[in-house]
Amino acid sequence: MARLKKVLVANRGEIAIRVMRTCRELGLKTVAVYSEADRSALHTRFADEAVLVGPPPSRESYLVMDTILAAAKKTGADAIHPGYGFLSENPRFVRACDKAGITFIGPPATAMEAMGEKTTARANMVKAGVPVVPGTTEAFATVDDARISAQKIGYPIMLKAAGGGGGKGMRRIDKEADLDSAWRAAKSESMSAFGNDAVYIEKFLDQPHHVEIQVFADTFGNCIHLNERECSAQRRNQKVVEETPSPILTPKMRAAMGEVAVKAAKAVGYVGAGTVEFLVDSSRNFYFLEMNTRLQVEHPVTEWVTGIDLVAWQLHVAQGGVLPLLEPVAPRGHSIEVRVYAEDPATNFMPSPGTIEALRVPSGPFVRDDSGVYAGYTVPNVYDPMISKLSVWAPTRAEALLRIKRALDEYVVKGITTNIRYLQHIVTHPEFMKGDYDTGFLSREHQALLGTDDPTKTRASMIAAAVFAHQRTEARAQLVPGPGSAHPVRSTWRSGKSWRKA
Amino acid sequence: MAKQTTYFAKNLNAGDKEPQHVLVEPLGAGHYAVTLDGKRTEVHALSLPQGAMSLLADGQSYNVEFETRGDEVGVLLRNQVTRVDIVDEQKFRQRSVAATFTIEGTQVVVSPMPGKVVRVYVKVGDEVTEGQPLVVIEAMKMENELKSPKTGKVTEVLAKEGTAVENGSKLVVVE
Repeated sequence: MARLKKVLVANRGEIAIRVMRTCRELGLKTVAVYSEADRSALHTRFADEAVLVGPPPSRESYLVMDTILAAAKKTGADAIHPGYGFLSENPRFVRACDKAGITFIGPPATAMEAMGEKTTARANMVKAGVPVVPGTTEAFATVDDARISAQKIGYPIMLKAAGGGGGKGMRRIDKEADLDSAWRAAKSESMSAFGNDAVYIEKFLDQPHHVEIQVFADTFGNCIHLNERECSAQRRNQKVVEETPSPILTPKMRAAMGEVAVKAAKAVGYVGAGTVEFLVDSSRNFYFLEMNTRLQVEHPVTEWVTGIDLVAWQLHVAQGGVLPLLEPVAPRGHSIEVRVYAEDPATNFMPSPGTIEALRVPSGPFVRDDSGVYAGYTVPNVYDPMISKLSVWAPTRAEALLRIKRALDEYVVKGITTNIRYLQHIVTHPEFMKGDYDTGFLSREHQALLGTDDPTKTRASMIAAAVFAHQRTEARAQLVPGPGSAHPVRSTWRSGKSWRKA
Repeated sequence: MAKQTTYFAKNLNAGDKEPQHVLVEPLGAGHYAVTLDGKRTEVHALSLPQGAMSLLADGQSYNVEFETRGDEVGVLLRNQVTRVDIVDEQKFRQRSVAATFTIEGTQVVVSPMPGKVVRVYVKVGDEVTEGQPLVVIEAMKMENELKSPKTGKVTEVLAKEGTAVENGSKLVVVE
């Protein structure tokens, strides 16, 4: 495989910049693609070249395969990095890249297909001897078939979309009487979300942990795991805080899960960076959930504890390189990541797009901020509301908790509402600090996580507001010339202009 | 010595219905005496660009960030955001007069963000109750329900399914 010279990043926001940073370090030219809504986006400004790919809605821009490929050809890019989301898990796009002679930085289409549909993936994993959540490996033809299976598995069960993800087309069913209506709802939701109404059944696990294993494979059949990430802090099936090592894993469990994850990846001929997601029940049994055939949002925590730049490895493998390490790496220290969203946790996480008036990002020892925004930038309303990922490293989990709190203290975003205070309440919550939090933690503790005001701070804030209001009134009074004023105030900008004219 | 000015402040976090009186007395060179709840505090306030302030009070150094929306000031201080509605005496009196017209009158429901109208639940003439969903706006791949602020009758529906709306766009009027 030839050495790459120019990489087109078929994504936007923080992940596009994350990928371009490594490309730049390695001396690779970068091409951004942008929609009409992203002319001012940071990734468009950050790249060496930028190509307009269409109107704001992603299905008319970032998701149009022909347009993305045309942009690569036009700029002479020899590779495409898909980031996460958008086209990253679309095997048709991988095939189109192959046909066009452009290197797709990711797994082959066949591996994606084997893991793409949930029922196919489950069947493949059962064949490979990987434990899956008890349930069915095939979609049901009729509700009666589903009823028979459900009786065998035992309630409560989850009815899930075969083509799905992100919590859509998913229903928890506690008793048989609820099956008919849940069946109809899950099918229609799956159809509208994924264009595929196939549904299957999984046993509902009570208070599970979501633990995933990072795997990496090259084109020579080498495959290793790079430890786990604990991602149980979720709201509406969306991850909010991630950490590694998982506070609930023993070295023995890590080795066992790592081995299973590698087995899963090898079973489908995987290449590149991938993540095998597991559910861990209260007795610490683990079950395969799904495989994400791309780089994950939360990859920085793995980078912190392994010292590996995962994007550099992706590029290395895509150029036909052998994995730089062939043995698992023991995690060094502890890392925590929080996702900063433009949303208001107090109003049911309502998104708050708008203009960022001021921005001050944390820094200091062992702090990393992967951001996609800047002061003066208007966060558009058509894309995901995540504006940044903040991650830290420390020798121990206890120190990492103090550090992420400190870093969040420094984070100032003005003009839009963010979840920064909410994140602070998560990382200081006793249950989170103890480490044994399951996927129900955030919704269970929602009220507590919104926080309560401190009377001393409230008083200081009222005083500050009063002084601020007073200074504002005084400033206004100075700017507006009174009726008797001999010298009306003129701005320096104005006098500067007339000076230039003279 | 400069005169004292009274400000009328409601802590919106605490849901204050009645304003608290805050007395501000400038002492020169950035020093102020502020009286709140009958307690006088001397502070030094250094205003900084982009709505920031360094406030020294009671031996503490507070890094304060302000965000303003009309008369509402969001105060970020030691990781607490306190929303304060604060006006001077003149504005307070103007408001008291205006309030008699608005409290139980017409309520306009506006879009809290730019987005797309995906559902309109009501039509002109419908009787609605407080908290009843009126319109669903989609923004950033999320659907958000806007509810009626009061019990009354829908007199205008400007929201149309499938159309784009700006922040502050008028959607529904309830009387």
